[in-house]
Amino acid sequence: MSLRFHWMMPKGGEVGMKTAQETSRVATTQAHSPAALPDMDGWLRFARAAEEAGIESVLLSFSRYEPDTIFVACAMGQVTTKLGFIVAYRLGLMQPATFVQQINTLSGLIGGRVSLNVVAGSSAVEQRGYGDYLDHDERYARAEEFLTVCHAFWSGNGDVSFSGKYCHVDKGKIFTPFLAPDRSEPEIYVSGHSEQAQHLALTQASCYLRLIDTPEKLAPIVGRFRENGVEVCLRLCVICRPTMDEALAATQALMPPEEIEKQERKILSSSDSQTLKEALRAADDVGWMNRNLYAGLVPYYGSSAITLVGTPADLARAFMEYKDIGVTQFIIAGWPKLDEMVIFGREVLPLVRELEEKISPAASQRRSAEF
Amino acid sequence: MSLKFHWMLPKGGEVALDGQQSPREAARYRIESMQSTSPAVRPDLTGWTHFARHAEDAGIDSTLISFSRYEPDPFLVACALGQAVQKLKFIIAYRSGLMQPTTFVQQMNTVSALVQGRVSFNIVAGSSSEEQRGYGDYLSHDERYARAEEFLAVCNAFWRANGEVNFDGKYYRVEQAKLATPFVAPDKRAPEIFVSGHSEQSEHLASSQGTIWLRVAESPSKLEPIVARTRARGTGVCLRCCLLCRPTREEALSAAQTLLPVDAKESTTTMKDDSQMYREGNELGRDAFWPEPWLWTGLVPHYGPVWTTMIGTPDELASAFLEYKRIGVTEFIISGWPEVDTVDVFGSEILPRINQA
Repeated sequence: MSLRFHWMMPKGGEVGMKTAQETSRVATTQAHSPAALPDMDGWLRFARAAEEAGIESVLLSFSRYEPDTIFVACAMGQVTTKLGFIVAYRLGLMQPATFVQQINTLSGLIGGRVSLNVVAGSSAVEQRGYGDYLDHDERYARAEEFLTVCHAFWSGNGDVSFSGKYCHVDKGKIFTPFLAPDRSEPEIYVSGHSEQAQHLALTQASCYLRLIDTPEKLAPIVGRFRENGVEVCLRLCVICRPTMDEALAATQALMPPEEIEKQERKILSSSDSQTLKEALRAADDVGWMNRNLYAGLVPYYGSSAITLVGTPADLARAFMEYKDIGVTQFIIAGWPKLDEMVIFGREVLPLVRELEEKISPAASQRRSAEF
Repeated sequence: MSLKFHWMLPKGGEVALDGQQSPREAARYRIESMQSTSPAVRPDLTGWTHFARHAEDAGIDSTLISFSRYEPDPFLVACALGQAVQKLKFIIAYRSGLMQPTTFVQQMNTVSALVQGRVSFNIVAGSSSEEQRGYGDYLSHDERYARAEEFLAVCNAFWRANGEVNFDGKYYRVEQAKLATPFVAPDKRAPEIFVSGHSEQSEHLASSQGTIWLRVAESPSKLEPIVARTRARGTGVCLRCCLLCRPTREEALSAAQTLLPVDAKESTTTMKDDSQMYREGNELGRDAFWPEPWLWTGLVPHYGPVWTTMIGTPDELASAFLEYKRIGVTEFIISGWPEVDTVDVFGSEILPRINQA
């Protein structure tokens, strides 16, 4: 199977921004951030570029600071034909039957180009604003029930009845099916680093989504998921330049002023998410996790800013190392989002496909048949 | 202020693009849309866009998108259809008990921004207990209203908010809630809220938390005091009805005949067990099928109160609408058989007569 590459959808207003500092996540959480509003013009530009770059899907992030992801996917799906949408959604915000009805409707409106990134909820404060008062572990226990109910609807074996600790459904029916050319339910990405997140991914997901780490550290984890039939997708950033010196200079240029670091640290350290804590620790401890993997941007740009830095050949080789240990998908971001994606599509992806072809020509032929 | 006219969105697959559909075929399609084998379970952007263009041409303000487990989610339908047409607005029917109010506001605000503010909603406390339990909602009729009251109170707090929202009720509790995406519209900061139902609770809820009370058409003399009472509280009144218009009364009546069920199997009203509106509808139909010469309730015992039908010639119907205007009704949500043909007739024959009066 060929590696699958997805990209983070920029926040509202980001596509038009020139510098990485402008697009740092801290800015989006402030009042009057352009990220609060949908940005159809910018997103459409980005989506066209993504389709051209060979990106399969974009991940739409969910928070109280941004428009609702399900509807962004719906509107964007009306103006694109190929790009897929990985809709991030938190649990605890609606009944599972309602969620299934919305996702199924969305699938019918955009030719099935939707998958889900289920997040149990990373901020207790933010969850309480949605009326959700469960703690970290309970949120995962609920997520387990929630997804069980969703799967029961998608399996289409008649009425759904479920009586758990958090979810109750009595003879539930949702008539609108999940509509896609090749599947009867969406792919489900479960993210998080905690034991509970991994357990949830193993039992309920089609793919485990986590932050990138070194191949050596990831190998046993990835192996466990693949043995259980669950794919693994890594979240990372890339900085790709013709030479390593240029790539390092580009990395250095991303360091923003002191103040942003302090705010970002506050967000990271106040979260009860294990993922965020681990990412911060990686940045504090080492910076460079190996020759090309840099955690030094995490204090400035958040936990998902662990970055592959290097030349096109470096990056292609790195992606193949992850493929060797069983990783199948990546969700990438860069600064600025559009430019880095164009570079990736032009310089890195063709090299990856070449290397894949060398290793396994048959697999790559299967891929061309699919597209 | 001139009357506002809205129209029901046809079910998925209902719009016959060739225009060859009899009233009975349209009616049967709608009734049978509650079967899992009906094409109505799927979104139908082609048919809906066709209808929406006709509605815009006819002078229709908004289209009401209904909610049930038998059809696509109306929020998403509004979002997609709003990309295809630029003028028509959307009234999204939704139930409380399906999601947290914070989530609801985030979705509503997002849709508003994606369709340039062309969105309002119709909150339904939930008309079938059985259907509600399938969504994980086990409350009784009266409790559903109490919850809807809280639900809308939280929503309104967000739309009024200049800061964080805090609420501590029996059914909902939110703490330091913030949503960055505002309701986006050229002329307002919050959507209009239609509250539908005939019970005392719904009347109360419409005035305490809503902007418009939505109920089924009845004779103007019966509605007059109720409408006056509601308007005095600053709440609009919208009537839900069907419309059957023909050049002559005889033609209209013979078209109406074809809509009656041919046997008992074709009736559907036993399903909504827990709604006062539906109970009243049953009784009303049996007592008197003609509250007015132009108002027919003959379909109500079979298909439910929303099949109450205004029937007649363009002149008769225009003066009937004006009679409702006189008693203080502010808007209507109409449907017909088929929807597209009826909206065309409304736009060309009835609305001009109302506007000239």
